[in-house]
Amino acid sequence: MANSKKASLREVMHLNNRAFKILYHKYPRLFLSGGLYQSLHALSPYVGIYLSAQLINELAGTRNVERLQTWVLAALCSAAVLAFLEAVLQRWQTYEYNVAREDINSIYAQKMIEMDFSCVVSSKTQEDFSQIRQNANWAGWGFPRIRDFFNSILQSVFSACGAVALTISLFTARIPVQNSFAFLNHPFFAILMLGMMLAAIFLSACCNNRASVYWIQYAQQAKFGNRFFSFFGGLSMDRHRAMDLRMYDQEQVCRSYVRRNKSFTPGSFIARKAKGPMGMLCAVGVMTSVAFTGAIYLFTCIKAWAGAFAVGSVTQYIGAFTKLSGSIGQLFNLVGDLRGNAAFLRTTFDFLDIPHEMYQGSLTVEKRSDCKYEIEFRDVSFRYPGSEVYALRHASMKFRVGERLAIVGRNGSGKTTFVKLLCRLYDPTEGEILLNGINIRKYDYAEYMSIFSIVFQDFKLLAFGLGENVAAKSKYNRMRAESCLRQAGFGERLDALEKGLDTYLYREFDEKGVEISGGEAQKIALARALYKDAPFIILDEPTAALDPIAESEVYTKFNELVGDKTAIYISHRLSSCRFCDTIAVFEEGAIVQRGTHEELVAQPGEYAELWNAQAQYYRKNGE
Amino acid sequence: MEKAKQRNKPKYTMWKNAVFMMALAWKQHKSVLILCIVSALLAVILNLIELFLAPMILQKVEMSAPLVQLFEVIAVFVFSLLLVRGVQAYINENTLFGRVYLRLLLVRRADEKFASTSFPNTENPEILKHAESASRALSNNRAAGEAIWETLTDLGKNFLGFLLYLMLLSTVDPVLLVVTTLAALVSYFTSKRLNEWGYRHREEESRYQKKIAYIQSRKEDLQFAKDIRIFCIAPWLDDVYTSVVKMYRKFHARAQCIYIWTDIIHIFMTFLRSGLSYLYLLDLTLREGLPASTFLLYFSAIGGFANWITGLLDDFSRLHKQSIDLSVVREFYELPEQFRFEEGEKLEPVLDKAYEIQLRHVSFRYPGAESDTLQDICLTIRPGEKLAVVGLNGAGKTTLVKLICGLYDPTQGEVLLNGVDIRRYDRRDYYRHFSAVFQQFSILSSTLAENVAQSADEVDWDRVQACLEKAGLAQMVTRLPQGLNTHIGREVYEDGIELSGGEIQRLMLARALYKNAPLILLDEPTAALDPIAESELYQKYNDFTLGRTSVFISHRLASTRFCDRILFIENGVIAEQGSHEQLLQKGGHYAELFAIQSRYYQEGGMENGEL
Repeated sequence: MANSKKASLREVMHLNNRAFKILYHKYPRLFLSGGLYQSLHALSPYVGIYLSAQLINELAGTRNVERLQTWVLAALCSAAVLAFLEAVLQRWQTYEYNVAREDINSIYAQKMIEMDFSCVVSSKTQEDFSQIRQNANWAGWGFPRIRDFFNSILQSVFSACGAVALTISLFTARIPVQNSFAFLNHPFFAILMLGMMLAAIFLSACCNNRASVYWIQYAQQAKFGNRFFSFFGGLSMDRHRAMDLRMYDQEQVCRSYVRRNKSFTPGSFIARKAKGPMGMLCAVGVMTSVAFTGAIYLFTCIKAWAGAFAVGSVTQYIGAFTKLSGSIGQLFNLVGDLRGNAAFLRTTFDFLDIPHEMYQGSLTVEKRSDCKYEIEFRDVSFRYPGSEVYALRHASMKFRVGERLAIVGRNGSGKTTFVKLLCRLYDPTEGEILLNGINIRKYDYAEYMSIFSIVFQDFKLLAFGLGENVAAKSKYNRMRAESCLRQAGFGERLDALEKGLDTYLYREFDEKGVEISGGEAQKIALARALYKDAPFIILDEPTAALDPIAESEVYTKFNELVGDKTAIYISHRLSSCRFCDTIAVFEEGAIVQRGTHEELVAQPGEYAELWNAQAQYYRKNGE
Repeated sequence: MEKAKQRNKPKYTMWKNAVFMMALAWKQHKSVLILCIVSALLAVILNLIELFLAPMILQKVEMSAPLVQLFEVIAVFVFSLLLVRGVQAYINENTLFGRVYLRLLLVRRADEKFASTSFPNTENPEILKHAESASRALSNNRAAGEAIWETLTDLGKNFLGFLLYLMLLSTVDPVLLVVTTLAALVSYFTSKRLNEWGYRHREEESRYQKKIAYIQSRKEDLQFAKDIRIFCIAPWLDDVYTSVVKMYRKFHARAQCIYIWTDIIHIFMTFLRSGLSYLYLLDLTLREGLPASTFLLYFSAIGGFANWITGLLDDFSRLHKQSIDLSVVREFYELPEQFRFEEGEKLEPVLDKAYEIQLRHVSFRYPGAESDTLQDICLTIRPGEKLAVVGLNGAGKTTLVKLICGLYDPTQGEVLLNGVDIRRYDRRDYYRHFSAVFQQFSILSSTLAENVAQSADEVDWDRVQACLEKAGLAQMVTRLPQGLNTHIGREVYEDGIELSGGEIQRLMLARALYKNAPLILLDEPTAALDPIAESELYQKYNDFTLGRTSVFISHRLASTRFCDRILFIENGVIAEQGSHEQLLQKGGHYAELFAIQSRYYQEGGMENGEL
């Protein structure tokens, strides 16, 4: 849920205030509209209270028809006008809120996109992030609460001010001296009433706090229960599970898990507490404030009875005083809520404050028309953050533009890690990578990225226009996008598309979007790599789902398209890489062999072993 | 809910659904009903107390009644308030749990239905939508399956309140009551009409919301992180995002400009009603010399009367909406099944018995497809035979397997188990005859042992250990901190471990071994493995199927040479069959494809590889 450490009041205020500043900066009009609405909404009831009190006074008194008419007209018109103003402000506020509510998550999304890649994938980040989302979805904890606080503070403060204005005369109005209750005129009783009010508020807040302790104790279990039920409840809806679910009768298994989970049953911890102390505390809390209301009634009525003011004013004083205690009580509870929210905000800021650790230089990458680039790995070792095992060990390698390099090896041998280091998704733990003799960290990040085109194993396209996907931009060169698609073998399909490059992929953005097959997606991804026209092109097994023949075709075809650029191919299907100038064989994070296919297959070693594992199926005698 | 509207008429009416829910509560958890009734009663009582409180006290003050009387009135009222509000607070604290419990029962029933429904249903888009609507109707505290209790409580409260106020106001001029009612009706129905704008445009709204969420989630998605960085996609995403948010803004500006009319009409109607009641009541008070407190009582009562009416109307429309949702849920429970389950014949798998599977003139066409995926397949899998099915992507191999194991029924022809059409059996019993490994799998978020045993209650620990060893996972298990009790996956347990692709493959194999069923099905799962791991797994499968009836599927033609017979599937028919050697000798398509595949692996094949 939230960090368990209890925050000091200063920290609570600091965290909430910081969140407020961020949100205010992002949505100033949300707070402006909300503030105006809340203040009007808090004050307008007093107009009604005051006017109807005057009306009753008149009725209980002289019953002057003209004055009665005036009061009625004033009550009716002011109610209508105020209601109209309130409505306008509230609509404005709702409008601002509806937009902000959808947009608010972009704060996290933006952070994600700006973060170092190594931070994005770290499990700590992912956990924090999912916590933040869960907290927000659960009860709007974290950022979404800030607006509620803002509104409720304004509401209570204005409401309290209005109430004070209408109650002052309760204490100043004097009972005639000859009356036996004249002693109530003494200021002591004003203080006594206020003291009782504060005591009642304090008492009932104590009860509520005590009661909510049980919810806090339960939070861990509830959170687990939510995870549990969302997993076992979502199981049957997951299409990939449908076959196993039936063949292994997993429904039976789920049923017994569910039966055993008592998080949300009537006998659960929280349900038992609600029946006992929690329910009692809530009742006592409410009853305390009712008792105080009784005291107000008593005091006001005696004063009226003794002749301090007219009957109508009794309704005014009671109404206003009750509201005063209500709004102060609300402010009081708010402190608890702010404290609660602070714990959640701490997680939010932990996430937003994840620093940029990657050093970023400022060197520009020389745009060479001859594409003379040379990359060198110099004794590079790498451990994934949080891991103790080296994914790459003392890798040293040089390659020049125009070369065709193949990287082969078993799963987990460090092939993909090599590529990730090359394109600076991570920085090496030890050693350095040089571009034209200069450490790649010294280059400007965007500049450095511009020399790579990569098609990853798990490449992703977006549900936007086809042409935009090829260019990875919203404004692009249509001719070039089209020619890249044709080169990548998407030409035939492109001609069949009514809207050509403007066709949307998938259905998320456009219902008329086209669903594309895995093979087609891959061609688009290849076209995207070509469009970027970077001097280095890397294919990281984008073809694993294809059969070997199809994969090999893709690789050879691509090899033609690459022209004089540098191409790096990664595959576990060795047959696809035979045409490469150099093959680097990875084993357990180290580069163990390097050479051409002919050289490598002739010598005993990892490559020959891999090769034989695949080739065995195709030997004539089958042994 | 949207879908429910489009579907013809809901099968169950509002009353039937209300009764259905009450019967459920009566059977499973009575206190839910009792609490509803008590809360409604308390709310009405509280309302009455508050209605009379001020006028009664005022009356005493106004009349300058003896002080004791004033004290008495205050004491009575404050005491009853204490009692009612106290009990109410206590009850409010307790309503949630029973309701959640009942909703989870309904959720469970929907899950069970969908988890066991005939497999083709899980691929039917109509039924998928239906399932989604049903699960949405039960998804949270505010969804129909739980919120209906609140609605029913309110309905009771408003109805009772309405009746009491009607009695209270029976002495008042009926014209005033009629006007009050009309004002409430007009205000309610015009605002309902105007609010329908939102309903009519809900698709537009959710389109924007989906787009906004889509872009946000892509920015957050791990899977996209690499491509976003390499191709500098952020500015592009921002461009699209800005334009969507702009449209979404316009949409809501339009909406609020329309909705404000509901406020205006409401304000106007309230103005009319209050004006009229002031007029009438003042006239009455002055004419008959009533005390101010009576005026106050009647004036508040008329306002309250209008509230009860609006409340009732509101409750009915809420109940109506919730009932549509509940009807969707109930129709989902009653979704007809094309397979037989309980009503089918029972069948017990026996390990040593000889099982023969026969496909007789089987054709299969996917719903909505233009041609058959499989045509007129005749095939007998003899007891103890090791059969391989090979072919290129899309040839129909997986469909064939699904027919054999009873996940699909043939469009034409029949599948027989020992001469009996499998459609006659309880399909669940039939499934128990197979140890299967598919390309897609369902790993439970529970312990390793329970994933192997596929049981939460009875786990044969020795057998689990043995199966894991056979599947080549023994070494991994020793590395695990909690051994066989380690949780798999992080969905539920935060201390769970994530398995690699190869480990998952082996776990699936161990699970199939544990099940120890007489028939074995393996749908090639090695695509993402490196050559050595792939080769190892083939070896394991080979050992594992020894002496059993088994079907093994692969797109790598030669990997199945250990099988007795190879079926070569092409374009939905069995193009060739026989042993590997026979097929090669035959010189057909199989041999041709084999030649192409092997060319890449034979020395001197480079001329062709280079193209």
